[in-house]
Amino acid sequence: MSSVNQAKVNPEHKHKTPTVKLTIDGRVVAAKKGQTVLDCAGENGILIPHLCSHPVLPPFGACRLCLVEIEGMRGYPTSCSTPAEEGMVVRTGTEALKNLQRNILSLIILEHPGACLLCEKRQICDEFRPDAEKAGSATGCHSCGSRDSCEVRRLAENLGIKELPVAPVYLNRPIEKTHPFIDHDPNLCILCGRCVRICKHQHKTSVIDFTDRSSRTRIGRAFDCSLIEAGCTFCGSCVDVCPTGALAERYAKWQPAPDKSVKSTCTFCDWACELEFGIKQDKLICTKSANENIPVCALGKFALAEFLNGSGRLHSCYVRTDGILRETDWQEALAAVKDRLWNYRGDKFAFICDSTGTLEDRFIFRKFTRDVMQSPNYIELEGADQAFKRAAVPAGVKAAFISGGCIEADSLSKLEVLIIQDCYPSEASGRADVVLPVRVLAETEGTIKDRFGRHRPLLKACEPPKAAGSEWMIICRLAKTFGAEGFNYEFVADITKQLNPPPAPPEIQTGQTPGPAQDLKQMRTHFRGHRIDGHVGGLRELNAGPEPAPVSMPAQTKGTFEILDNRRLVPNTHEIVIRAPQVASKAQPGQFVIVMVDEKSERVPYTLCDWNIQTGTITIVVQEKGLSSRKLILCKPGSKLAHVIGPLGVPLEIKKYGTVALAAGCYGIAAIIPVARALKNAGNTVLAVTEARTGYLLYYGDRLRELSDEHVQAAIDGSLSPRGHAVDVIAGRLKSGEKIDCVIAIGCPFMMMLTARETKPYGVKTLAALNPIMLDGTGMCGACRLTVDGKMKFACVDGPFFDAHLIDWDELKDRRRAYSAEEIHSLAATAPAERSHTCARPINR
Amino acid sequence: MTVSAQQNNAVVAELLSLHGKDRSHLITVLQDIQQHFGYLPRQAVTQLAQRTGISANEIYGVATFYAQFRFIPPGEHIIQVCQGTACHVRGSWQLLQELQQRLGIKPGQTTADGRFDLRRVACIGCCALAPVVTVDGNVHARMTPKEIALLVKQHSGKKDR
Repeated sequence: MSSVNQAKVNPEHKHKTPTVKLTIDGRVVAAKKGQTVLDCAGENGILIPHLCSHPVLPPFGACRLCLVEIEGMRGYPTSCSTPAEEGMVVRTGTEALKNLQRNILSLIILEHPGACLLCEKRQICDEFRPDAEKAGSATGCHSCGSRDSCEVRRLAENLGIKELPVAPVYLNRPIEKTHPFIDHDPNLCILCGRCVRICKHQHKTSVIDFTDRSSRTRIGRAFDCSLIEAGCTFCGSCVDVCPTGALAERYAKWQPAPDKSVKSTCTFCDWACELEFGIKQDKLICTKSANENIPVCALGKFALAEFLNGSGRLHSCYVRTDGILRETDWQEALAAVKDRLWNYRGDKFAFICDSTGTLEDRFIFRKFTRDVMQSPNYIELEGADQAFKRAAVPAGVKAAFISGGCIEADSLSKLEVLIIQDCYPSEASGRADVVLPVRVLAETEGTIKDRFGRHRPLLKACEPPKAAGSEWMIICRLAKTFGAEGFNYEFVADITKQLNPPPAPPEIQTGQTPGPAQDLKQMRTHFRGHRIDGHVGGLRELNAGPEPAPVSMPAQTKGTFEILDNRRLVPNTHEIVIRAPQVASKAQPGQFVIVMVDEKSERVPYTLCDWNIQTGTITIVVQEKGLSSRKLILCKPGSKLAHVIGPLGVPLEIKKYGTVALAAGCYGIAAIIPVARALKNAGNTVLAVTEARTGYLLYYGDRLRELSDEHVQAAIDGSLSPRGHAVDVIAGRLKSGEKIDCVIAIGCPFMMMLTARETKPYGVKTLAALNPIMLDGTGMCGACRLTVDGKMKFACVDGPFFDAHLIDWDELKDRRRAYSAEEIHSLAATAPAERSHTCARPINR
Repeated sequence: MTVSAQQNNAVVAELLSLHGKDRSHLITVLQDIQQHFGYLPRQAVTQLAQRTGISANEIYGVATFYAQFRFIPPGEHIIQVCQGTACHVRGSWQLLQELQQRLGIKPGQTTADGRFDLRRVACIGCCALAPVVTVDGNVHARMTPKEIALLVKQHSGKKDR
């Protein structure tokens, strides 16, 4: 049968590629010759589990998950590497296959911190924690920045993995956080090789490759050099294809998952790459190349979101009055522009912009200069690949309207009136009479012309900061303030129609690898006169080159709070012993201290986990969460902390309750030590139950066995018995009729909420320690405000212990996310040395 | 032993001209480089990458896959501790422990001063002499931790290679 005939039979395959027919799961389907069984099945809506396979990459066959049964073939061939053939009879998803796939995935999860996948409470957990929580190293899904995009997680759900054959292990490999933009956590890597292969596919070279072998295999570079030294151009394609969180974008990974994506064009330079923007609540969170075969440059991949969301963005209008720029509204600002410019109409006026703006914007600029200001001085700077040009003001010009900051410093002093519209403050805007905030990049819409003269569409993808306006709209409104006619444009499309010559139909796909994605030297350094790296931390590191960036460690202090010991208990958790005799002499169970690493650090509360009056020391257990906790755990013994304030908080009431059950998780395992000791001394029977996602995250077992009457360690993934949360053990005892007079829960808010929920039916008095929600610790900041029994309380001064059954947990859950945007931004702006464990130096040298 | 860039270039160029730049010869070329220098110097790998167009990262990936390649100069003296059945029965693990402690390295590593390589081998075929240690190929029979200490001392002094 000729291919022409076939095309008639199946109108969907009109092209001339010969097709074959095969049967998959009883359905007869057509496949292009050479197409793999996996791709063919996928096209026909039959989903076969796979991890290493990727649509734009050649078959690899590493993960072995895409097994199928094919009649006449021995064993279970991998569908990703088996070409579809005429008459093939394929079965997918049979019980035998599913069992194999479950086993294979279980083996993968043994070395991928995936205990959360096996948790029976994960649904409630996901509801309580809509976004993953920041952590120095991911030890489960809910502390992993890639939780919502993780393919291992999705597959485990689909295949219904319920338990692991043996206890999982943590690979304990150093996490690389010193690269610009990218965090590499080899402990999450499943060695699917997509990153290695996409690098080769897009760049025809290997910046990364598999190094070493067998159980030591990892993704690495020659002689373990940095990514910069390895020749990386930071196109970020490896991050985009990574199915786990092993390669992740530092800025984007802790952002909430995007709720929509928009395809538009990057306007950082005239290569004008097509990008796909991830948008959450009208905010741009992440970007990637819209064409998986073509990389984009570091600006398009990594700089855009950070540049747009920078805290320094101009978001209001400013008018200079009495020598000071004062914030005002649009109406006043535009009136002020008219006042200032009115007498400069004619050739005393100049309009200056660069060619990064849309055609529509520049059409309006030109029209305004000519028709309203009646000036011949319209100056448009051509974009240059690397060198950045600034405009000089023509002789005789006394007033200028500048879009951007691209003007020579000398020219500024010659001007009598200066109006600036821009996205960030600049030297020029500091001397301007009026400053107007504008939308840029993905906030704008219109048409742009790329370096090849093609017209490319620009779609608005996200909202600008506060009052920032479209440039064309600002100038149109200004023209109307001047009383000019012909500026009645409602939509940008109305201007597009007037362009002369009219733009050709826009082309979305370029199909070309942009120069800057192959050669960092071609990457633009400036945008609208601003150094882009001034607003994007990773670019500064990249521009600094392979030499490590200067180490900026916390400031030297003369504090008396010496760190005597600092050791890692389990991944992401450190035990720190500090000399603080006065705190130690006053400390009582349940109290906390505020620690400031240096004079400028955030104040962070930590529960007192132990103290010794004789030696004058206190012990705290710190989990690495964000910037401040990381600073603390990087401190080596011998360094001194600026402030340790405490003991603070209302101590736990120690009396004879009878039998007390302690439920503890994370840092709480350490925090119950003094509680257990005091309760035992007061004559109580103490049952200490600790929980962790998996066995390797539990600690202090010996100490708790000594301090309590009974100590139980529960693992949520079943790597230890009993399986489950601490409260499951306690609820089990209550159900069997055991008498428990009081339950005290210390751990993360989710764990305490869960404890409250499960003990409530039994009417047991349950206390929860709300330390994790505190910030400043003195009742002033209000961050730890919560509602208990309908009354407003502050955890730091009224607590930390509250009746867990009376706490409004829903309110608490929402309030915890109040500062997440600032926290994420601070992580991206941190210097490499402060991000990394390995290159840290003690504070006092 | 450090290798000058010039030496490097010359050696890599010569070895490449023998085998050709095709990637199928990569392992042979790497073997020759190691034969020449005793290890794979970083500059040689970089040089090889430039001349073949295969990225240094990929070459390193290939080389680290095989146990035969090393990336630091070999120690002056190579100490092999037999861990075969006969030697094991006669306490060879104690010898290995003693050596590890004395040299401050694990099997497969080289001391920081470049003096010793420590290796564990499965059997060197003289079980009657167990436990056996060889230094630079010379067999030392029926070793004890005390004698090991002496052996290390003897080889620590002057350079004799």
